[in-house]
Amino acid sequence: MTAVIEAEHLSKWYGQVSGLNDVTVAVPSGITGLLGPNGAGKSTFMKLVTGQLRPSTGTVRVCGDPIWGNPAQYFRLGFCPEQDAFYERMTGLEWVTALARLHGLSPDAADAAARRALETVDLLEAADRKIGAYSKGMRQRVKLAQAIAHDPALLILDEPLSGLDPIMRRRTIRLIKDWGCAGKSILVSSHILHEIEAMTSNILLMHNGRILAEGNVYQIRALIDEHPHTVSIRVGDPRALARRLLTDEDVSSLRFEPGVVVVETPRPDAFYSRLTQLAASGEGGTIEEVTSPDDNLQAVFTYLVKT
Amino acid sequence: MSSGQPAAGSGQQPAAGSGQSFVRSTMRIFDLSLGEMLWARRTIFMALIVAAPVFLAVVSRIVSANGTAVLRINGERVGGGGIFGVMIWILYLKFIIPALGVFYGTSLIADEVEDKTITYLFTRPIPRRSIVMGKYLAYVACAASVVLPSVMIVFMLMVPFGEIGRSFGPLLGDLGIIAIGLAVYGAVFLLAGVMLKRPLVAGLVFAFGWEPIALLLPGYLKHFTIAYYLQALMPQAMPADDTLSLLQAVVRDVPSATVSLLWLLFALVIALILAMRAVESREYILEQ
Amino acid sequence: MPIHDQGYRHYAGQRARHGRAWWVIARAGVLERLRERRFLALLLFAWSPFVVRAVQAYLASTFPQASFLAPDVQTFRAFLDQQRVFVFFVTIYAGSGLIANDLRANALQLYLSRPITRVEYIAGKLLTLLIFLVAVTWLPAVLLVVLQVMFTGDTVFVTSHPYLIPAITLACALQVCVAACAMLAVSSLSRSRRFVAMLYAGIVLFTAAMDQALRLITGSRAWAWVSPQDTLAVLIDATFGMSTEPAVPVLVAVVLVAALIAVSIAVLARRVRAVEVVA
Repeated sequence: MTAVIEAEHLSKWYGQVSGLNDVTVAVPSGITGLLGPNGAGKSTFMKLVTGQLRPSTGTVRVCGDPIWGNPAQYFRLGFCPEQDAFYERMTGLEWVTALARLHGLSPDAADAAARRALETVDLLEAADRKIGAYSKGMRQRVKLAQAIAHDPALLILDEPLSGLDPIMRRRTIRLIKDWGCAGKSILVSSHILHEIEAMTSNILLMHNGRILAEGNVYQIRALIDEHPHTVSIRVGDPRALARRLLTDEDVSSLRFEPGVVVVETPRPDAFYSRLTQLAASGEGGTIEEVTSPDDNLQAVFTYLVKT
Repeated sequence: MSSGQPAAGSGQQPAAGSGQSFVRSTMRIFDLSLGEMLWARRTIFMALIVAAPVFLAVVSRIVSANGTAVLRINGERVGGGGIFGVMIWILYLKFIIPALGVFYGTSLIADEVEDKTITYLFTRPIPRRSIVMGKYLAYVACAASVVLPSVMIVFMLMVPFGEIGRSFGPLLGDLGIIAIGLAVYGAVFLLAGVMLKRPLVAGLVFAFGWEPIALLLPGYLKHFTIAYYLQALMPQAMPADDTLSLLQAVVRDVPSATVSLLWLLFALVIALILAMRAVESREYILEQ
Repeated sequence: MPIHDQGYRHYAGQRARHGRAWWVIARAGVLERLRERRFLALLLFAWSPFVVRAVQAYLASTFPQASFLAPDVQTFRAFLDQQRVFVFFVTIYAGSGLIANDLRANALQLYLSRPITRVEYIAGKLLTLLIFLVAVTWLPAVLLVVLQVMFTGDTVFVTSHPYLIPAITLACALQVCVAACAMLAVSSLSRSRRFVAMLYAGIVLFTAAMDQALRLITGSRAWAWVSPQDTLAVLIDATFGMSTEPAVPVLVAVVLVAALIAVSIAVLARRVRAVEVVA
């Protein structure tokens, strides 16, 4: 796949603080998830990619050309920033139209493009209301509308799902996937793994201003799976279940908590498969809940940092 | 949300590598900013300020109708035309124009940065300098459209009907000076707004601290003020009824109108160029 | 193996008595401002008239030829008048964001969801500004009196002007209270620190310009009431016993200043709320 964004030895310092540290990465076309905890450097990377910040060292190229000081690049780039900032007195339609006009569109073309974009994000009905009166979800969607109004080839979306309710979250994920299917390249950031997984299998993991891993989310999961995985099972008779679990080699250690068995397994796939069979057979008592503290992003990072 | 196709705007992208022209993008920013500015609460504040001279003109008219006007300029009693000149100097050129310059000029870019809306402008295919120029022109248009009518109203109230025809030339001159003042102060404080972290305090110190003091000092220090050149363009005599005015009269040396205009133009152009260069090269780290 | 509790630990130390929160707020505000070099530079610059006056006092007490420089009551009145400009800038610098910044960050809810009353919050913010304003008015003025005594080596100056220090204290109290209350009220009206600064500066400068213009047009000083600064000057003159022919009657000036403070407090009472109820 061709790379839409290329960074080479890219670093950014804010005075004494390092925001991004010697990042070399090529973001392919299609949807790419930029994943990392707060403070990982996602927003800094996005600001460098969108030409809002100048690299301290290294280079960043978008579609083959540098972005800093190169406004023509914004014809093919749409950016949805994280911050909840608007011209509150304008209506959604006025705002999206005005920004579309800055792309060189005539008044009529800008109006039509704005209406299309607002329709795409399901906001056409509220287009004539002032942005100041919009709900959080509507504000998030109008931000998306301004990013897509000029039909860019590359979309950069900084935490587009933050503040959305579950239904709107699902709709937005679907929308992003549809844009990806329509041939757009999208770089979308989040600090929640399952949100990104729902959009794409191609991810960039960031931590402490560095790229920790890149590529297919399943490969990264496989990498994680090589490490002992912790599974917590709430069950009626923990001791009976523990006896059953200890019969196989896929359990490396086991401990008890009130009503819970906590298992460490080096082969989670095999373990989960066996656990399913045990649950179905009813041996070891009724399993009420299975959770894995390792499913959260921080655990993934902890594993990868240790690697 | 309508799933499926993204907003399809076919043919909206000019050939890669060609940004929009400076003039065209400046006009777009001008359109966007003027609308925002005209309805901002700051404009209401500005309208209140420029309403004050109108109120004063009414008071003055009432006072002169009662025959109790005692305004003297250099010892001579003056009528409505003279009072109009004094108001142009004391209220407009010494207060309203610098104040509007400070309040608007410093906030043209700083407001967008503080409100974090600058991102939307910086990620458009327009040169950053056009954002500065467009906003600056919107300020000049907005300020002029509020201030100049106020001057006209004051003129109509102050100058006797019979003298209006004769005074119309000087009125145009006053309007021109005020427009120049708005433009120059705006440009200088725009520069302060993009360069300094606390531009408002610096602007107030310059306009209401440095300028009045420098005008009282002998030598070249007064050359580093805007008021010095604006004052030189004033056709009316200045009132000299207090100590400061007398002191100012003593140290006053008046450059010619041409020299003043050239210096003001120079200050305006340099300030705008520096402001545009600063915005082009500056990174704005928005507080999260 | 001893297992350590990793959970939340409640504060087990001593707690300040209720009603002391204003001091915490004021202390935090003062320390935050003092971290800014530009502000420190402004404070230092505000002491430059003091240096000039101190040198003047030194010369007058050391060299008989310079005795005409000897300070009198008028000197202190003029000194406080000079400090007016610094009061203006310090008020704008240190005061404009006091409440506006909290409104912007929705921090009022955080403050008022703790055992802090609105009065304590306002008192804390007010004290922040008052500390700086006192530092550029009362402190240098009183220090000048002390220096004068030290330079002359006797207490004749103080004993012959027994009302001087009370007059300085009262004048400074008026000056700083009016500025601080007005600024705090304006700061509660907007979420933008810059707009607050603009509004405050506009009010002060605009009223002064109006006063000046009205005086010129009508030839009467009676318009001083238009400008809070000039009204305050009438009161300060009276405090120093110099108000032989005040621009406005002292009683009127007292009423106007009291009204200004009352309006400021009313605005604060209305605006400083944890939750804004929209009807």
